[in-house]
Amino acid sequence: MHNTTDNIMAVLMLINLALTASSRLNLCISLVSLQGVALGFLPLFSHNGLNLRTAFLAVVVVAMKGVVFPRLLMRAVRGANVRREVEPFVGYGASILVGILLLGISFWVGNRLPLPVSAVSSDLVVPGAIGAILTGLFLLTSRKTAVTQVMGYLVMENGIAAFGLAVVPEVPMLIELGILLDIFVGVFVMAIVIWHISREFDHMNADQLSALKG
Amino acid sequence: MNWEGILIYAIALAAAPLLVGVINRTKAYFAGRCGQPLLQTYHDLAKLLRKGAVYSGTTTWVFRAGPIISLGAALLALAFIPLGGIPALFSFNGDFILVAYLLGVMRFFTVAAALDTGSSFEGMGASREVQFAAMAEPSLILGVVAVARGTGELTLTNILGAVSSDLWLAQGTVLALVIMAWFAVFLAENSRIPVDDPNTHLELTMIHEVMVLDHGGPDFAFVSYGAALKMWILGAFVVGLLAPVRTGQILPDLAAGLAGMLTLAVAVGVVESTMARLRLVRVPHLLLAAGAFSILALLLVMR
Amino acid sequence: MTFCGDMLWLLIVLPAIGAALGLIMPSPRAAIRSVAIGVPVVAAVAAWAVVTVMRGGPLLSAGEWLHLDALAGYHVVVMMIVFVMSSLYAVPYFSHEPAGHELDLPAARRFAALWYGALAAMTLVMLSNNLGVMWVGVEATTLLTAFLICLRVSPSSLEATWKYLIVCSVGVAFAFMGVLLVAASAGHAAATDVHLLHWTHLQQIVKTLDPRLLKLAFIFIIVGYGTKAGLAPMHSWLPDAHSQAPAPVSAIFSGFMLNTALYCIMRYMPMVDAAWARNLLIVFGLVSIIIAAVFILAQHDLKRLLAYCSVEHLGIIALGLGLGPLGAFAALFHTLNHSVCKALSFFCAGRIGQACGTHDMREIRGSIRLSRLWGTGLFISMLALIGVAPFAIFMSELLVLKAMIETHGYISMAVFLLGTATVFVAVLRYAMNMAWGTGTAPRKDEPGSLLEWLVVVAPLALLLTLGLWMPASFRHVLEAAASIAAGRAP
Repeated sequence: MHNTTDNIMAVLMLINLALTASSRLNLCISLVSLQGVALGFLPLFSHNGLNLRTAFLAVVVVAMKGVVFPRLLMRAVRGANVRREVEPFVGYGASILVGILLLGISFWVGNRLPLPVSAVSSDLVVPGAIGAILTGLFLLTSRKTAVTQVMGYLVMENGIAAFGLAVVPEVPMLIELGILLDIFVGVFVMAIVIWHISREFDHMNADQLSALKG
Repeated sequence: MNWEGILIYAIALAAAPLLVGVINRTKAYFAGRCGQPLLQTYHDLAKLLRKGAVYSGTTTWVFRAGPIISLGAALLALAFIPLGGIPALFSFNGDFILVAYLLGVMRFFTVAAALDTGSSFEGMGASREVQFAAMAEPSLILGVVAVARGTGELTLTNILGAVSSDLWLAQGTVLALVIMAWFAVFLAENSRIPVDDPNTHLELTMIHEVMVLDHGGPDFAFVSYGAALKMWILGAFVVGLLAPVRTGQILPDLAAGLAGMLTLAVAVGVVESTMARLRLVRVPHLLLAAGAFSILALLLVMR
Repeated sequence: MTFCGDMLWLLIVLPAIGAALGLIMPSPRAAIRSVAIGVPVVAAVAAWAVVTVMRGGPLLSAGEWLHLDALAGYHVVVMMIVFVMSSLYAVPYFSHEPAGHELDLPAARRFAALWYGALAAMTLVMLSNNLGVMWVGVEATTLLTAFLICLRVSPSSLEATWKYLIVCSVGVAFAFMGVLLVAASAGHAAATDVHLLHWTHLQQIVKTLDPRLLKLAFIFIIVGYGTKAGLAPMHSWLPDAHSQAPAPVSAIFSGFMLNTALYCIMRYMPMVDAAWARNLLIVFGLVSIIIAAVFILAQHDLKRLLAYCSVEHLGIIALGLGLGPLGAFAALFHTLNHSVCKALSFFCAGRIGQACGTHDMREIRGSIRLSRLWGTGLFISMLALIGVAPFAIFMSELLVLKAMIETHGYISMAVFLLGTATVFVAVLRYAMNMAWGTGTAPRKDEPGSLLEWLVVVAPLALLLTLGLWMPASFRHVLEAAASIAAGRAP
């Protein structure tokens, strides 16, 4: 069981690195959804293992992060008729270096937090979660396209979800569903706004959304 | 000193040029050609050794010493390389650092000889070679450190010797990451696609080939043979992880190691046939990604 | 008691029903009317619940998931005042939109549904006893109000919406880390407790929580909810969103949505090491005041000016919260004053903006001649906003000052005075030029309807009354609420 959790977390970290390095928007969207799916399976292999509750949540998470979100984002990209590049402010080479740095930081921080990590879950979960949060923030700040910012938000959200799994295994179902609903509506709303933006501006670069100042 | 070490040393000396042949045959198969004979590299070496060398008037002793010292360094490094579970000729604690430095010496003298010609093409190749090597080396060393930490051993022979199927079950993620990192290093250091195209005819895009343009005759034979040995050395790293057959008996282990080498050569051929060469500005990204794999592996074993 | 428990549910369910009804309204006019009629009804129910709480003590209902105490009740009252005012104001505002900019039917339906939705979400935040549900509510307010900003789609409103969405979503995600850390601080023992995140439960076991993790959690909470509350330096979304939204929306943003987030921070205050948390709040408050003052000095857009003013006032509230019991009292008093006053300012700014066709303060001249009602309202509300004497904001700022003197915070006092004095001078200059300056030819003044007069005069009367005389019962409510926020159990 431990080993499976370890492997999932390693995949999660690799996807973080791949996201900092990849230049294709479609690839990035697939990577993010893959990360979400991997995360959805995580509860099945930690603490209580497979039961009705975890299975239900896993199905919901996988359906949302693996199917719905990528569809929404792909549609936003296709509808926007933009260049399929990520268009970073920070070059890809430097991005990878930053990714590695963030990875190191997350291990350093993760091993020092006085968290009551539940004994059954792997000690990779917290560093992986922090890594995803930091990577998400990095993607949010270093990429121009609006879609990439949504992806950064999703990666960050994935990290937070993993973190929650490690420290609070028994979040009540109601809260968990509420959070998922919020994220779903969030991505939905963002996709609509991106659609509007691309129609109004003929592009969807967030760095050109800078008319309002002062 | 042990007889197994002598055996695999001899095998390496004999079989290293064969890897190039296998790669070329694989590429020919993918391209739908017959391709050159498997042993073409040996014929080339023999032909080159029979010829005389021409030296430009602008070159100095550095140019002549380059190929010889490079080959010497490669031969020395090879003595520390085990093949799977079979121990190397020599080993001592931390010998992988010496191996990395010997590869560095080899590169240094190749580069120095290239610069000695004063040709702008060769200078260009030399600068690229050094740039990419500087990025590839950390991945190799960090990968070794990760596996060393995972196995608790300090000599190359013991580190790779301890990679068993049990270790794969326990630390498979780490080993897979290191393999990916080392494979990228293998491609970069041996000037294969996607880093460098050994068959290109345009000097502007070459890396390794353009550095050795001015060598001829026996000198070029040394360079080519040295490059083949280097491929064997780095290949042995990858195969050591990839083929975890550790029966303790010489025959099955040797067979597994050699089969691993051949598989690796075929894999390189497949990569060369199916991928395009990266733009030069993108090459550092590949090497940085390899470094990221190594660091992640290291972090995973160190936690 | 059981009936009152059901009533708490009603407070969330009623606006949700309103949202559904808003979607099927037959005409834009009807949709906006439905808001103006429905919201006061909800407010009446809420007032009943709050009165019950003030008389009979905290209410717990729905399996302890909903909770209404003095602090929440006070905020519900402020919220309802702002919402009722804004809903009434929406009727004249949208009927005076310049030609070509009128709301079409889908936009009006969207407005009604999202307006009710925002009310439901904010009520959920106030009433939730569970920190997780509270977070869900805050995130829901972000998402529901996003489309209120770009009710009329234009490049600049989309830009504002996008910034609002991204900055607030990310900020509030940070707050969720804080929630998780609070849960983690309970340790192994509580890991399986279903009621773990219930605020009332956490109050009981606060001694057993890990203080280091709580501190870390509070940092995340203050950065996360602080982003939503518009505390500097996380305020970057705020001026854009406030300036691009229609005036009634700006009014609820500034008048209450910011306070919703600050209310969440108040809920965490009693759990953390008091002195440390207070100092953190004081720093954020002072930074907000100073940054807002600097930006106000160089501002030309009327609604952006009011937005930065909100940053300043939220900074003052945070500062007050950081000053102990008296400060908390002052801060809560200031919450009401600022919300009412700022909503009024946005009302007037919106109608003046419609009349002048611009929000650029250099081009708005002679607004009192332009419209006696709205021009005068704008001028007086701006005076009240910067703390001119007889109005209530002056009193609450004075109380904050008093709290600082009592706690010997002389440096923060100097910073506070510097910031508010700068704002005073800058805003006064703009306000006088807009009210009397010469430039544009005065247009024909339309006498306002009774409703419009009510929307302007009632808040001013409230501010004036509270500035001169504080009823004893109101003082008791404030004291009860302040003692919860300051960390002393009632």
